[in-house]
Amino acid sequence: MADAGNIRSALANPTGWQSLIIFTVLTLAWLTGFSSRLFAVIRFESIIHEFDPWFNYRSTHYMVEHGFYNFLNWFDERAWYPLGRIVGGTVYPGLMVTSGCIHWILSFLHITVHIRDICVFLAPVFSGLTALSTYFLTKELWNPGAGLFAACFIAIVPGYISRSVAGSYDNEGIAIFALMFTYYLWIKSVKSGSLYWSAFTALAYFYMVSAWGGYVFIINLIPLHVFVLLLMNRYSHRVYVAYSTFYTVGLILSMQIPFVGFQPIRTSEHMAAAGVFALINAYACLKYLQSILSAKALKQFFIISVAVTAVVVFIAVVGLTYLGYIAPWSGRFYSLWDTGYAKIHIPIIASVSEHQPTTWVSFFFDLHILIATFPAGVWFCIKDINDERVFIVLYAISAVYFAGVMVRLMLTLTPVVCVLSAIAFSQVLSIYLKDDTKTEQSASESQPRDNTEKLYDKPSKVLKKSQAPSDEIEGDGEGIGMNIKSIVVVLMMMMLMLFAVHCTWVTSNAYSSPSIVLSSGGHDGSRNILDDFREAYYWLRQNTDDKARVMSWWDYGYQIAGMANRTTLVDNNTWNNSHIALVGKAMSSNETAAYEIMRSLDVNYVLVIFGGVIGYSGDDINKFLWMVRIAEGEHPRDIRESDYFTQNGEFRVDNAGSKTLLNCLMYKMSYYRFGDLQLDMRTPPGFDRTRNVEIGNKYFKLTHLEEAYTTEHWLVRIYKVKDLANRPKLTKLKKRIRHITTKKTIKRRKGTIKDKIKVIKGKRPSKKRT
Amino acid sequence: MEQLYGIPFNFLECPNLKLKKPSWVKAPSPMTVFGLVLFSYFLVTGGIIYDIIVEPPSIGSTTDEKGNSKPVAFMPYRVNGQYIMEGLASSFLFTLGGLGFIVLDQTNKPMTPRLNRILLLCFAFVCILVSFFTARVFMRMKLPGYMQS
Repeated sequence: MADAGNIRSALANPTGWQSLIIFTVLTLAWLTGFSSRLFAVIRFESIIHEFDPWFNYRSTHYMVEHGFYNFLNWFDERAWYPLGRIVGGTVYPGLMVTSGCIHWILSFLHITVHIRDICVFLAPVFSGLTALSTYFLTKELWNPGAGLFAACFIAIVPGYISRSVAGSYDNEGIAIFALMFTYYLWIKSVKSGSLYWSAFTALAYFYMVSAWGGYVFIINLIPLHVFVLLLMNRYSHRVYVAYSTFYTVGLILSMQIPFVGFQPIRTSEHMAAAGVFALINAYACLKYLQSILSAKALKQFFIISVAVTAVVVFIAVVGLTYLGYIAPWSGRFYSLWDTGYAKIHIPIIASVSEHQPTTWVSFFFDLHILIATFPAGVWFCIKDINDERVFIVLYAISAVYFAGVMVRLMLTLTPVVCVLSAIAFSQVLSIYLKDDTKTEQSASESQPRDNTEKLYDKPSKVLKKSQAPSDEIEGDGEGIGMNIKSIVVVLMMMMLMLFAVHCTWVTSNAYSSPSIVLSSGGHDGSRNILDDFREAYYWLRQNTDDKARVMSWWDYGYQIAGMANRTTLVDNNTWNNSHIALVGKAMSSNETAAYEIMRSLDVNYVLVIFGGVIGYSGDDINKFLWMVRIAEGEHPRDIRESDYFTQNGEFRVDNAGSKTLLNCLMYKMSYYRFGDLQLDMRTPPGFDRTRNVEIGNKYFKLTHLEEAYTTEHWLVRIYKVKDLANRPKLTKLKKRIRHITTKKTIKRRKGTIKDKIKVIKGKRPSKKRT
Repeated sequence: MEQLYGIPFNFLECPNLKLKKPSWVKAPSPMTVFGLVLFSYFLVTGGIIYDIIVEPPSIGSTTDEKGNSKPVAFMPYRVNGQYIMEGLASSFLFTLGGLGFIVLDQTNKPMTPRLNRILLLCFAFVCILVSFFTARVFMRMKLPGYMQS
């Protein structure tokens, strides 16, 4: 009986219900987020996607096999031939260590899982953790209801799914979790001012530094927050404790990552944090002096100290930069401020499609309804501002700007959009769901349950409606009436439902293709799988020498290394511009000139991607102008971009195309024997489906290369570089009989002595010397 | 030291100046800040940075089979490309939707008369719904297969 009484009291207790609801919603959000990322696995197989993930997978594999310290010391001689790459010192190891740990724990428990499966499913699992930390962050900023909204939004929003589907094993997958978690702990430490939380912030920051280069965003945003708080006269001990602990501990921790090393005290990206650290200490010092000194003395002291500090700091920064101790901004970072910078100076950065500026479609595609509710969330936060809301507003403003500059940084915008939209939705619904008459508790309690479950909202809506008439009679004195309120609520629900539908559609159609397995839909709805990439890579793996060097454009470097296990010249790491330019030069010069470069680089095989047969638009001919541009940047005398255009400045591969283009190596390798191929009765032979033209230079022979392998749909073509030809035979060989005449005639057969006196019998020797 | 300072003042007379902070330098009100934020948001979501870097035309044009050139407002099938006007039009819609949500909240101020309240509510509704559905229509024009399969 006592048990029954306990249960009853537990049921009546609203906080018990609240935590149950929170728990259920968060679990469901995790599950939904996990399962909506599995499209690619279900459609294709458990496979690593795209380019960078292949490298991450390869190095994780290496780490699991050889141990962590060997991984840190790993010198990869199979990349960047002949330079090689120090992998341990040029990689953010957080990702590999995370999946290595999971693998270790699982095998410790005797659950045998291949490391590849861990790599494939890591990002979806971490999306659940991201949802959790977003919930906590929003809870600190607003209330638990908004937190639940935010968790559900971040679980399914396409902007985040795009980087965290199953198989896209990339740094961003875990870095967004680390980002949100660091921000949550930072807010917590600003609110509490305790050493405990700020030390945790530094730890989370350490994890972020180990995971992704985007940690620079944190180390600039948090100082900005502190600085703005100072400007707004919101300085307090809590901020001081939080920031100085975070900065010192975080600085030391971040320098433990080999790739980061001494950057935090030497590069300009980190100088803002150091400056704010000095500033907040000076401010705290002044505050302290203020309590001791009189007003006049303080004023004098203040003026002198400010002047001295300003001069000293300025001279120090300028001097250190001049002496080379502080590096100036790196190119990638600089292009964020001066938007035209990359286009002019660093073509290799501008050539990456995810570094392009963002159009309105990307905003709508990735965020849908949230893009409209986001300003409302900012408005709520600004209207009712406090220390931590300053932070989220700053985050919002800076992230919007960065997302506008680069498509890729949409990823950092997405969490803040989710948080602020959740605030807006929760605020609106808490007004319109509230029963005017009943206690407020039940309303605020039923609100998260109703709204976060977008798909299951209908029953609860009916319930609301049935309550409506009785409320309307009482509550129309100041409210609007329950009917109108319920209409508002229904509309909100409808929009959220459409949002969920949109998210699923985008995930399924746009973000779930592995890009190493292509699929095309037939007219009858069937799905054709084009597996050419793996076909070619396995061919390389099986049929070439283990030490063979494969030259390709840098996009395919990681895949060749990962799948074919062969040495590559350049890969997606792009750390050496001149090496890439050399490969670009080889691709864009004519065969003889290219052969010299390839000989000097010891190339055995050349691999090109050609989409003309199936109409694949991401092939090497379409990327070709970038190769020319990058090559021109390093070898302006040999390669000129204008040579590859027609008179009118068009880039075309048909008859009208420029002669340089029609004879360059890339063209020849792509279109070798293509002139004999007639794909369709309606088109002439040699008709390129990607560019929809008949090619200009059809019948040609290769002298220094020979075709080694072409895949089923001609997507990948591999050529073997011939050895140097034998010495050319002499063509005009005139046979000539040589008469060998020795000077040793019979007469002189014996050796003679010079100045020997000839003695002939019966004659007197002559006196004269002969 | 004191005398050193004093040298110029032997033959100069201090003007009677009163310097004070000009009245317009003060912390901006929250709503000013929000206005600025909203405006920059409007520009950025419209892809203004894309417009600056890539310099697309404001409106595109195609030639139909008779050889007449027709204006085209949307660059179809290209997620990574846009014309200036389409970007601004759609970011206007996004902003409109945001304003709708804010107005929706404003209806609940306690001192509003009932009629105003309903009018405001209707206005907010129109804003939200128009922006939402027009954005969907824009998306259809941009990617004709949107939400079809």
